[in-house]
Amino acid sequence: MARSLAGFLVLILTISICEAASIFQPISDSHRSAALDLFKPVDGSFSSLEETYEALRTFDILGIKKKPDVSTATCGTVSKTLGSSSSTPKDLFDALRVNSILKCKINAEVFEGIISRLQAAVSGASLLLDFYYPIGSLGLIKLLEGGVIAFYTSPDFDKSSIDPLMQDQTSKADLHISDAEGIFRSIKALSQSDGRWRYSSNNPESSTFAAGIALEALAGVVSLASSEIDQFMIGTVKNDILKLFDSIEKYDDGAFYFDEKVVNVPEHLGPLSTSSSVVRGLTAFTTVTTGSLDLPGDKILGLAKFFLGIGIPGDAKDFFNQIDSLAFLESNRRVVSIPLILSPPSTVISLTKKENLKVKVNTVLGSKAPPLTVKLVRAYSTSSKDTSIIDNKELSFDPEGAVYFLDALPDSVDVGNYIFVVLLDSEHKDLYVTGTLTHVPIYITGLIKIGNAEIAVLDSDLGSIETQRELDLSGENTVSLSANHLQKLRLSFQLTTPRGSAFKPHQAFLKLRHETKVEHVYLVGNSGKKFEIILDFLGLVEKFFYLSGKYDIQLTVGDVVMENSLLRDIGHVELDIPEAPEKAPRPPLQAVDPYSRYGPKAEISHIFRVPEKHPPKELSLTFLGLTFLPLIGFLIGLLQLGVNLKNFPTSSVPATFAILFHVGIAAVLLLYGLFWLKVRLLLVGSIHDIEGTQFLGSFLDVRRTQDPFASGLGIIQVEIRLRMKEFLFECCLLGKQYGHFGSSFVGLVLVNYI
Amino acid sequence: MGICIVLFSSLSQSRSSYIFRILNSTGAAERMTKLSALVAAVSLLPILCFSFSPENPTDRRVLVLLDDLSLKSSHSIFFNSLKSRGFDLDFKLADDPKLSLQRYGQYLYDALILFTPSTDRFGGSLDLAGVLDFVDSGHDLILAADASASDLIRNIATECGVDFDEDSSAMVIDHKSYAVTETEGDHTLIVSDDYIQSDVILGSTKVESPILYKGIAHSLNAANSLVLKVLSASPSAYSANPSSKLSNPPLLIGSAISLVSVVQARNNARIMITGSLDMFSNRLLRSGVQKAGDSNKYSKSGNEQFVTELSKWVFHERGHLKAVNLRHHKVGETDEPAIYRINDNLEFSVQIYEWSGKSWGPYVANDVQVQFYMMSPYVLKTLFTDQKGLYHTSFKVPDVYGVFQFKVEYQRLGYTSLSLSKQIPVRPFKHNEYERFITTAFPYYGASFITMAGFFIFSIFYLYNK
Repeated sequence: MARSLAGFLVLILTISICEAASIFQPISDSHRSAALDLFKPVDGSFSSLEETYEALRTFDILGIKKKPDVSTATCGTVSKTLGSSSSTPKDLFDALRVNSILKCKINAEVFEGIISRLQAAVSGASLLLDFYYPIGSLGLIKLLEGGVIAFYTSPDFDKSSIDPLMQDQTSKADLHISDAEGIFRSIKALSQSDGRWRYSSNNPESSTFAAGIALEALAGVVSLASSEIDQFMIGTVKNDILKLFDSIEKYDDGAFYFDEKVVNVPEHLGPLSTSSSVVRGLTAFTTVTTGSLDLPGDKILGLAKFFLGIGIPGDAKDFFNQIDSLAFLESNRRVVSIPLILSPPSTVISLTKKENLKVKVNTVLGSKAPPLTVKLVRAYSTSSKDTSIIDNKELSFDPEGAVYFLDALPDSVDVGNYIFVVLLDSEHKDLYVTGTLTHVPIYITGLIKIGNAEIAVLDSDLGSIETQRELDLSGENTVSLSANHLQKLRLSFQLTTPRGSAFKPHQAFLKLRHETKVEHVYLVGNSGKKFEIILDFLGLVEKFFYLSGKYDIQLTVGDVVMENSLLRDIGHVELDIPEAPEKAPRPPLQAVDPYSRYGPKAEISHIFRVPEKHPPKELSLTFLGLTFLPLIGFLIGLLQLGVNLKNFPTSSVPATFAILFHVGIAAVLLLYGLFWLKVRLLLVGSIHDIEGTQFLGSFLDVRRTQDPFASGLGIIQVEIRLRMKEFLFECCLLGKQYGHFGSSFVGLVLVNYI
Repeated sequence: MGICIVLFSSLSQSRSSYIFRILNSTGAAERMTKLSALVAAVSLLPILCFSFSPENPTDRRVLVLLDDLSLKSSHSIFFNSLKSRGFDLDFKLADDPKLSLQRYGQYLYDALILFTPSTDRFGGSLDLAGVLDFVDSGHDLILAADASASDLIRNIATECGVDFDEDSSAMVIDHKSYAVTETEGDHTLIVSDDYIQSDVILGSTKVESPILYKGIAHSLNAANSLVLKVLSASPSAYSANPSSKLSNPPLLIGSAISLVSVVQARNNARIMITGSLDMFSNRLLRSGVQKAGDSNKYSKSGNEQFVTELSKWVFHERGHLKAVNLRHHKVGETDEPAIYRINDNLEFSVQIYEWSGKSWGPYVANDVQVQFYMMSPYVLKTLFTDQKGLYHTSFKVPDVYGVFQFKVEYQRLGYTSLSLSKQIPVRPFKHNEYERFITTAFPYYGASFITMAGFFIFSIFYLYNK
């Protein structure tokens, strides 16, 4: 529960301006539009009769004209509920409540049946809610008849216009409950000594919410009683009410509320519904009984403030509770005083525009208050609470805008935050809660004069002015200064209030921003009217992270009461700071711009290796032709020399060996030729099939063919190398095939060697 | 084995009956387990059906933690807009002793709304680590603080890369860009219209009216590259205690003050952090707004549109992408090869769809890029789109062989990041794919063979000349 309280406190605090003195605005048009948003019928009716009643009641109180028409569908539900014998007392109660607003055409017999049922229920009841619903229902039926009677007796009444059924409804004018006093006692028996009530005699837990219900039920009993209830009994109930008000809780801003103190509170029983229940019970009870109830006015006003402080609830139930309670507080004219809400149309008063203090006085629902006197008791500045600037002044009334205003602010009032203490006084002291002091916080604003603004660069040791520039802080400035780390920068200006005194704003910042977005902020201090800041760069180099370059200068002066708060770019200073030493602090990390971080990247396209430059085919072929020339020359030379083969052996054996020898050489040479031309034909299978291939050639070779930068081997040389390896490898394979392990071994050794 | 059987057969009668009982009861227990699993499965079924999934990425079940249940009423417009969009809101008090985000290792919620500025500790089993784990497992979070922000809330924010002003009494004050109202004169109800330029975060409809803000300032951790400033304060704003005189320059000042920030984590969990709980309240949502010194008066603040659109983003109703059907093949073919040869021409395509809250629609952009990547990108190309979600391009495989990847790394402001890769080897030319004979080499070969021929002829004549 404490949590819930804290929540409401937070809620109210956020709405109010400051805790000590806060302003509550009465119900306004924003409530009306919110009501239409909150209570929206689906297909011509609300989801339940209870909600229907809440909606209709809210619309009625707020005087909403353009409300949704739900009468046709709802009246059907109402008569069905009333006609059904299985309806619970709560259903009947809700139906009757709706009926009391919609005035549906209900058959008289239906009422008769209900009345007897309800009367039986009341006399047999023992729980609080068993009393509450039937009594409430009976009260509503009686009220309905009373309404019709009043209708009959009104002067412009035309009897023929009355529906015969309506006439039937009036037939039970003598509606009452028997043994009213006994019922009164049994309800009272559930009460506790602290003014709270229990729901049943078995349940020891007492509840404030139940107290409200009980009071309503008791009020119903009193109004339904055929004979007068014992005044002593009523007196004890009144005493209970006073005790209940002793347990009222309070916020700092003057709002009072009731809250449940039990541990496990259902969610819907917050302070709002509890307070609302008490207000309903209280007003119902005081309406039916005579004699005054000596309730303190500030508590009634506090309750009203509590309901208003909620603002506009977003929940239909809360909204209804708020509006309904406020309506009870306002309409109950006889016993509980009506609270009046004082609210200024604006809490900001401009001295320059010669505005005056104005306050509005309304009832909680926003209607006009009766004529009364509004007195300004005193007004003081929040900084010096003891010295009052205005004492005991009556506010004049402007009938046109229905506002009370102060004729003129005295000359002693300068810009600042003030609290105006206002007293309401009315001739109808018994009717309205008056005599309470309302603290209204007011901001008196004005244009602040800015003068003598100048910026200068000073020499450090002598303080002599190097360069100086006048500034016009109301317009644009583009000063460009340059300084080194041995110099100082001085900025000074004067602030004067409209009344000519010194003004000290809340915000007076000088900001230096380096090109790299590193910022340095300084407060500009003042002595009297004069504001001055001197930046000694020598002491600041480390803080500036040894960043030389352009620093933009920006001045911000602002205050709550300063109408011309300013943010000016003055210009820049070019700073020359020595190089950073080794261990100098690094500038803080600057957040990366999100837009650039997420942009697309620059495209990359691969640079392909340029194919090796080859001479044109013709040239190669030409040179191929040229290579034949030596051979031709050699052959011609041989012919010229007249060589012969006369020495060839003639005998058969040497000739055979000679032929074999040359055929051998020719075979070797031919093998070279074949190797070049048709090496693959020698293979049984193809070693170039990718599956099961043994990679031919060392990695280095392939690498060299691919790598354009390592041109140790030309592609031609590599080809020759590869061919040779291929050849030898094939030889190995062949050797293997034919069982020559020796030769295949030699081949492998050769492969690896190459 | 044989010994075991012998032993077993020699067991006494009572022993075997005992074993039978055990077996029997195990069976019963098994049945019970199955039954309870079934019950659990059935009871979880509706939850599982409507929860977050890669195919249906919008959150469904949202836990709303409140300091006080009256917030339900005072912030009802925001909550109702969530409910009307199909979210299942579960309101709980922050110190509810039964508070728990997960049960049996399964998260009960898809998202968390923390409207609990003053809560020092959560009830139940939830704590700072619990909230962070929740986010780390890809769930979303909305956090709103105000002037009463507790250490717990500040710590959660800090873990997300957002630092609230350390001065607990400080509020954002702006003497130039404040809202003109009748009842407030302390310039803490400020007006801001400095939004992030991102349609995906704030919706395609421009927020026309400025935002009303009353709360505390925060700054972004510069080391965190995932956090983004969505709404920043004006240059004249500062964060200080409005009721006391300043003795030091405020830590947060000007546009460095972030009012609303979002984080999109690497696992696509989305977080929204703001220092103003009031920003969501009915009062500010309904309130009109007029900026000081500006004659333009808006009948309604931009808050409603802003918080609604932002919550759509946070709860993955927008900006959630998926990429499917990453394909590639050689130009002129349709089948995906197992390996490419250097200098092959290939075609690459991928389909990207965006979740609209209800269905997947084509994602249209002109900045989706593919990388052909091995240690570093060799090719980075922007894809063409057919406006129906298909992105394609073609390029030539670089003349470098090795194991490459097709990579689509798509990170755009506000969108979930896409990171796809598919591995593909690239081989060099086979030996027989080179030219068989190189003309340029013919003179060399010619010279060799002619030398050979010459040698042969010479050897004959040399030996047999007379």
